[in-house]
Amino acid sequence: MSALVLCAAVFGLGLYVVLTRRELIAVLAGAELMLGAANVQLVSFASMSGVPGESAQALALMVLVVAAAEVGVGMAIIVTLSRRSARSRTDDLQEVNG
Amino acid sequence: MSLDTVAFALAAALMVGGALGVALTKDVMRLVVGLGAFLLGVAGMFLYYGHAFLATAQVFVYVGGVLVLMIFAIMVVHRANGRPVLEARHDIGAAAIGAGVSGMLFMTLRESVGGWLPQSGTPGGPIAVELLGRSIVVFELAGGLLLIALVAVLVIVGAGERR
Repeated sequence: MSALVLCAAVFGLGLYVVLTRRELIAVLAGAELMLGAANVQLVSFASMSGVPGESAQALALMVLVVAAAEVGVGMAIIVTLSRRSARSRTDDLQEVNG
Repeated sequence: MSLDTVAFALAAALMVGGALGVALTKDVMRLVVGLGAFLLGVAGMFLYYGHAFLATAQVFVYVGGVLVLMIFAIMVVHRANGRPVLEARHDIGAAAIGAGVSGMLFMTLRESVGGWLPQSGTPGGPIAVELLGRSIVVFELAGGLLLIALVAVLVIVGAGERR
């Protein structure tokens, strides 16, 4: 139960960061908070429900990999945007170029 | 107070303290330090559950890789803009939404968990057998995803330079 309270609180904090921050780096950090909280909750649930530890670790490792890939692509977008227009804020991104 | 309780409390304090740092600070480097503390807390939580391999991967991938990547990106953005990177815009509505989602998660999932302190997990030894056995397809897919992300990063940065 304590892990659930902890992860729910951290997930809410991450959501708050995503909603309130304007800078893309801070928004990305908020998304990382939510991913980390969800990953800890996954491991916690697996531990409590009797799922084999190695299966839980494999699944959590996949979440880790996806989060790392997300950060890499996110940082590339931030650096590219800052080079093009000296901007890295969410309010400045109002159109996409397909 | 048992050693398990202390370990859990330490990891939880790192997680919450780091997350609060990310949410409240106006300094971008403090944000990264807060994120690092949070990620170390997550690694500590993995250790608490007995997943040493996962904790090691968390430290290597995040604290050793992702945070360095974020610092490099901040250096580039900060240099290009020449102004402080973060602005504070705290909002009571966003706080209500965050607290509401936290409460919703707790109320929804509280029936699924047992006592207040979970049991420690199994050792991480059989993880290699799992990853290279039953989960080999998922493991290879994760490697493919990382490769695709790497190519995407090169394409995005390359397109930015051509313009």
